[in-house]
Amino acid sequence: MRSLILKKSTWLPYLMLSPVLFILGAFFIGGILLAFLQSLGYFPIIGLEKFTLIYYKEVITSPDFMAALGHSFYICVVSTLISTVIGVYLAYYIAGLSHKNKGIDFLYKIPIAVPHIVAALMIVFMVSQGGIIARLVMKMGFISEPNQFPSLIYSKNAIGIILIYIWKEVPFITLMVYTVMANIQKNLGEVALTLGASKRQVFYHVILPLSTPAIMSASVIVFAYSFGAFEIPYLLGATYPRTLPVWAYLNYISPDLTNRPIAMVISMIITVLAIIMVWLYTASLKKLVRYKL
Amino acid sequence: MFKRYICIILALAVLISGCSTSAKPAEQQDLLTSDWETIVSTAEGTTVNFYMWGGDERINKWVDTYVSSNMKEKYNISVNRVPMDAAEFINKLLGERQVNRENGSIDLLWINGENFKTAREADMLWGPFAEKLPNFNKYVEKEAPDVAFDFGYPVNGYEVPYGKAQFVFTYDSAKVANPPKSAEELLQWVKDNPGKFTYPQAPDFTGSVFIRQVMYEVAAGYESFPEEIDEQRLEGQLEPLWEYLNELKPYLWRKGETYPPDLAVLDQLYADGEILMTMCYHPTRTAGLVEQGLFPKTSQTMVWEKGTIGNTHFLAIPFNASNKAGAMVVADFLESPEAQISKYDPLKWGDLLGIDINKMEKEYQDQVADIPLGEASLPASVLAAHRVPEIPAGYIPWIEEAWYKEVARGVGN
Repeated sequence: MRSLILKKSTWLPYLMLSPVLFILGAFFIGGILLAFLQSLGYFPIIGLEKFTLIYYKEVITSPDFMAALGHSFYICVVSTLISTVIGVYLAYYIAGLSHKNKGIDFLYKIPIAVPHIVAALMIVFMVSQGGIIARLVMKMGFISEPNQFPSLIYSKNAIGIILIYIWKEVPFITLMVYTVMANIQKNLGEVALTLGASKRQVFYHVILPLSTPAIMSASVIVFAYSFGAFEIPYLLGATYPRTLPVWAYLNYISPDLTNRPIAMVISMIITVLAIIMVWLYTASLKKLVRYKL
Repeated sequence: MFKRYICIILALAVLISGCSTSAKPAEQQDLLTSDWETIVSTAEGTTVNFYMWGGDERINKWVDTYVSSNMKEKYNISVNRVPMDAAEFINKLLGERQVNRENGSIDLLWINGENFKTAREADMLWGPFAEKLPNFNKYVEKEAPDVAFDFGYPVNGYEVPYGKAQFVFTYDSAKVANPPKSAEELLQWVKDNPGKFTYPQAPDFTGSVFIRQVMYEVAAGYESFPEEIDEQRLEGQLEPLWEYLNELKPYLWRKGETYPPDLAVLDQLYADGEILMTMCYHPTRTAGLVEQGLFPKTSQTMVWEKGTIGNTHFLAIPFNASNKAGAMVVADFLESPEAQISKYDPLKWGDLLGIDINKMEKEYQDQVADIPLGEASLPASVLAAHRVPEIPAGYIPWIEEAWYKEVARGVGN
């Protein structure tokens, strides 16, 4: 009888989780498996039944590949680095407030609730060449024509896209880091201060090293997200180069169904790269922290 | 993101098809042999899921109000409009075809061109049903090339004409005195007015047709595109097109470094005065936009002297539509002179007639003549005199991809 009860405690959680596990298994793993099969050229509905690596070769040797990879990487690294720095500073600032400021607490969380699409629209209204800022600058006489305003959206520099990511990601990182920092600040931070450390020293030698795990996990999440995210680069990206997810999507919606394996190859590459890069990023950050701090 | 969506759909479809034993195709096939009264009575009280491109608020409104209320009144059928791009519902159907799902969610489709070809080739459409529709038999000129063929692909009764479209350019007559009326004149005009012209990037629908429009004049007309694609010949044939577009490129908006992603952005640039011309596959759309105050009042449309590309768009029923009878009744209503005339009104939609005006009764013909098309629009006769057909659908993705390699990516990138 006892052993049965013990057993129950081992299998019960799985039973309780089974609906979620089933959905994860069937949809997520199943989806990746299907994509993998199609990337190998197995797509019987249009008569492709032989497994081949030809589509991988086609994608990797295409000049678009390096361009797309570089562009995805550029957007992702720049937006993640900037949002991490700002997010950490903001968390430090909020943690340092003597009273919980409800206004700030509420304000910085707003972007988390706003969908990316809405953020995209906001950016278009603000920073496009016909947007509010361009018009203001023109009214003030700094420029005489809208096209003298720097192009930030639909442009190769992808600044509009990066701005949206930063706007969306800073609060996320702040939220993740703030709780940890507040704790450290209150206990160890104050101890260090009474022992004669400057505020600067406290930040760099106590708070920052101790909150590194939180910072790292937060930035890894936004890093992986922005690498695989599709909608913002699709809406506001340049014609050339495009990011990997946009390239995959365009192949996917092509009425020419023989492009489908290409789309799946790109998707598989995104998946693998995202995993590798998260791993690299984590490893290198760990090293950095060990030596510098 | 979309990859995940489709996987979810596929997985769901697998689950559903795994659970349900095969349904009753017999009853559905019967529809092709039953008479119209039976079809109408079968359809009564049902709901028709109408999947259509949802990018134009006026069109959406027309379907939601005019079509919906008429179907409810006349046949007690509810029309459920589902906005979805053709490429997406083709993918959805493809998923359902792969697992042979019997009871599909789509009853009626708004479709044409390469998507129709794809749908037919993967056996995703039901039919031939065209000749079951009384209004099709009465008002459609079945042998007309733009009804019997859809982008060069034989229709064979698997879709019925819904309307027609023709490519036109829109310009601001207050700022452009002599609009360019050929590819050659356009090149000169763009060079004289750098930064004031651009076109949407392919594979946007409008950008794609602009590229073909130029192709007809500088490279090869529609006659030189046989059904079978010979890639080597095609590459040589299109050389002058890429030369032309690359010559144009440095003088485009933003020096051609990037292109507007779609028509909405192009129109926005025009409305803001950043560019002086826009373009569209709907000849009366500009008049509607002027009416709404979105475009300058001095906007005018024009066609090129040697003609602009026109095509027909159609209605089709998926192989697994749950409510085929209802879909047929809605399609039949949309083929009626009343619906076609209502749709022709630029204040409602401004779509060209899909049925033959000469087959309509006199009173309907008078109604058509009485509809004001708006200052900005060209008369139907001018459009008809300048209409050239599309090329076979199979070429279009090919040309779009080549454009990306030859023009967008460009030399030096």
